[in-house]
Amino acid sequence: MIDRRLFTNFDWTLFGFIFLISAIGVLNIYSAATPYKVVGTPYFLKQIYWILTGLLLIVTVCGIDYHVLEDISYWLYGLVLLLLCVVLVAGKTSMGATRWLRLGFITLQPSEPMKIVIIITFARYFNRVPIFQGLRLRDLVYPLMLLGAPALLIMKQPDLGTAILVVLIACSMMLFVGIRWSTFVSVGLAAIPLCYGGWRFVLRDYQKNRILNFLNPERDPLGSGYHLIQSKIAVGSGGLFGKGFIHGTQSQLRFLPEQHTDFAFSVFAEEWGFAGCLVVLLLYLFLVLWGLHIASRCNDRFGSLLAVGVTAMLCWHIVINMGMVIGLFPVVGVPLPLFSYGGTSMVTSMVGAGILLNISMRRFMF
Amino acid sequence: MRDSREKWTRVRIRMIGCLFVFFFAITSARAFYLQVVKKEQLLKLAEKQHQKIVPLTPARGAIYDRNNAALAVSIEMDSCYAEPRNIENIPETAARMAPLLGMTREAFEKKLAGSKNFVWLQRRCPPELVEKIRALDIDGIGFVKETKRFYPNAEMAGHVLGFTGLDPAGLEGVELKYDATILGSTGYLVTERDALGRDVALKGTVVTKASKGHNVILTLDKNIQYIAEKELAKAVEESRARGGMALVMEPQTGKVLAMANYPAFNPNSFAKYAPQVLRNRVIVDSFEPGSTFKVFLIAGALEEQVISPRDAFNCENGSYSIGGRTIHDTHKYGRLTVGEILKYSSNIGAAKIGSRLGAKRLDSYLRKFGFGEKSGIDLPGEVSGYLRDRSQWFGVDLATISFGQGVSATAMQLATAVSAVANGGQLMKPYLVEKISDENGNVLQEFAPQARGQVISPEVAKTVTKMMEGVAAEGGTGTNAAVEGYQVAGKTGTAQKVDPITHGYSVDKRTASFIGFVPADNPRLTIFVVVDEPKTSPYGGVVAAPAFSAIALQSLCYLKVPPDGNVRRKPAPVEEKAPTPADVSVAAAEGTFDTGGEGTVMPDFRGMSMRQVLRAMEKKGLNVKLIGSGRAVEQNPSGGRLIGPTDQVWVRFAPAA
Repeated sequence: MIDRRLFTNFDWTLFGFIFLISAIGVLNIYSAATPYKVVGTPYFLKQIYWILTGLLLIVTVCGIDYHVLEDISYWLYGLVLLLLCVVLVAGKTSMGATRWLRLGFITLQPSEPMKIVIIITFARYFNRVPIFQGLRLRDLVYPLMLLGAPALLIMKQPDLGTAILVVLIACSMMLFVGIRWSTFVSVGLAAIPLCYGGWRFVLRDYQKNRILNFLNPERDPLGSGYHLIQSKIAVGSGGLFGKGFIHGTQSQLRFLPEQHTDFAFSVFAEEWGFAGCLVVLLLYLFLVLWGLHIASRCNDRFGSLLAVGVTAMLCWHIVINMGMVIGLFPVVGVPLPLFSYGGTSMVTSMVGAGILLNISMRRFMF
Repeated sequence: MRDSREKWTRVRIRMIGCLFVFFFAITSARAFYLQVVKKEQLLKLAEKQHQKIVPLTPARGAIYDRNNAALAVSIEMDSCYAEPRNIENIPETAARMAPLLGMTREAFEKKLAGSKNFVWLQRRCPPELVEKIRALDIDGIGFVKETKRFYPNAEMAGHVLGFTGLDPAGLEGVELKYDATILGSTGYLVTERDALGRDVALKGTVVTKASKGHNVILTLDKNIQYIAEKELAKAVEESRARGGMALVMEPQTGKVLAMANYPAFNPNSFAKYAPQVLRNRVIVDSFEPGSTFKVFLIAGALEEQVISPRDAFNCENGSYSIGGRTIHDTHKYGRLTVGEILKYSSNIGAAKIGSRLGAKRLDSYLRKFGFGEKSGIDLPGEVSGYLRDRSQWFGVDLATISFGQGVSATAMQLATAVSAVANGGQLMKPYLVEKISDENGNVLQEFAPQARGQVISPEVAKTVTKMMEGVAAEGGTGTNAAVEGYQVAGKTGTAQKVDPITHGYSVDKRTASFIGFVPADNPRLTIFVVVDEPKTSPYGGVVAAPAFSAIALQSLCYLKVPPDGNVRRKPAPVEEKAPTPADVSVAAAEGTFDTGGEGTVMPDFRGMSMRQVLRAMEKKGLNVKLIGSGRAVEQNPSGGRLIGPTDQVWVRFAPAA
């Protein structure tokens, strides 16, 4: 089963980058969590445990040929969709959102695996459907149904960030498959009433506030605009070379919200300045481009689609998180892959990375 | 087919790649914009958020005497503060801290209650207390260095130096007059605080260093000041007097070398003293100068050449009627030369010289000698004395003013005027501050002597000096003032005091004084000693002259002025002319201070707000001119004095520091 060629073809470059970014992340969490009172295991140590778990996952994922995923894709989709429904009924509510399922001693957040599952599902779907001149409007019906069900369920939790990500990942994959211009225009026209309807009936008040506050953070500087302003101040006051490790005043004095999770990059930007930001940005850019590289050199369409999907997932996380940190996007709870503290995010990212490595090392196996 | 599809796939991947690169580029550009372009602005915002600023007591520059001996310094002391939010157990802290600070536990807890992050517990704690609090080692209790004003010489020159309030603004004396120079800029304790407003990491806080304020170097000489204070105290105590003043000046320059008041006060604890003790009476109180005034009368008459030194006047055997009143001398004199009139202090002789000089010219000379206007000394609260407008001189006024009744002057004015005689006729502006230097001792400003005008010619000055030498010589009224080895020129003064109740001349209260300069031929010092209400003897020649002599001798020795071998001390005191009750009736009838009925006492308004002053005025029915705004800093007449009908009554306010 385990071919020796798998080792020789192992993508050490990608692995190295993943490891490097994770390491920087740990360092940053160490600094970000310095002002917190230590209760039990410190955050950076926990993050190291999560990284080790993630590496174990990578090895596990790599051990299974990704073509197996094509076969079980709909089963996976069905299972996670079911879990999402169960969450709505019997989920654990915390901070106004019902996102978690308590399964014995583990707490599971089904919306996270949905990100991966939607990739696998779409990859399988578009691999089987022959498309020559790009997607027509009616070609969209079935994929949109596949997408719509989980997206709405996640939105209902409510978890806008994840819902947007799932949609963006799916859209990126459809873009990769190819969409006709006419389809674009039609969707665009349909989007206008949809957006209005969404604003009126779907979005919760706090979500609307986030968007309004993004457009004008001064609207509520101590409330929901606070995160944006504080993050901007922290990043900006870092300057060109930053204030130094554990010397960021805004983070060390806890002006930053969620500074070890969603706003971890603010801490980094404050302490390492523009130079540090650029280094991390380039690392991520390389990761993303490498993902696309894997997609392009993959010999089968399913693999390509899978690689593009995973890359899109990572990329959208990065873009949305950084956009939020530097005030380009509204505040949506999206972590920075491999960098923010958190087990769920780490597991998702590592599984994604595992799939990429999997595709990469099996590129010659036909 | 497969090939074209693969190619198509690669193109799409590249497109998506470009899209991602584009996103990263925007993110980088935005990061650049925030971190480089808008950095300053955001950094400021950040600092504003996490820094809390507590103003500290500004340090004050030192005050030195002319030999750089410290008279007022700022010493560093620990101020104790609490950060309630960093204190874990407030009741327990209160139980341990409150007894040390001398407050109840409830009061302590109340102080810490509320949302304050920073509370002063006690500013400028004594070192033992600091030690004890440090030993408790409670989180959230800390210290920061602040300064406290300290006057190392205790009482010495207290009236000149003045004092400062708890906020370190100068309240009196040089401290007040030169407050803007001495007072440093306020320093700030910058504490970092976190998003919840808790002060953090205070131990490592920065105190933005305030500038320390400039140093002031006085013309005062600590040693001469000491001599003057010691001798004044002795004179006052021996004569069981109410108080006294002593003033030592350099006649050539107007530099004040010593300025003493008795009783003195300790500026380190000025709050313990009654307000009248804090007043620098040398400049804020005027009194009737009495016979010392004859010096200026004779100087004017000689200058105008209405008399010559050889002229003699009939002193009418001690009783002389003029304008329906009778003037008396202590002793019956026949003909006296001008010099003798001064030597024996004949009022009748003085009145005759006065009538020869005339009211217009007498008034003009007195004003030239600086009476009726402030001397310009650099101290706050100086008064200009009282010299009636000449149109208000009636009947006997010319005569009485000639021997120093019906006018009032400050000791400062008299000493300045006598200095003009001593230095050859030039009226100097007296001053106290010689130099201003910065923290490192670099001189920033130096004050030069200022002449206010030539009053009399050097020749006349010389002639008057010669006559004044006679006062301390054998048979004069001021023989006690003679100094072994040095020629003294001077004049005794014994003036009746105005009774604050009857507002007429008091029967037994006198102001005994001696003013003069040594050595007479080349004066180094003008010395003025005033003893207020002596009980043993009313005469300046008896109670004030010995102090003059002692101050002069010790100061001259200290200054290493070589003695003149020809001069010997000849002590043979002769009683000076003192006004008799007969004079009293004259003066009282004349109404030198012609208030109808009882006078109103001017309250001491200093330190009061304008509202308080207005309320007090209303109560007393006073009509006071209010100048400026803030807190009352200066007033005329000074607190406790009777308000005369012609007095300009005003209170000046200055904004509180």
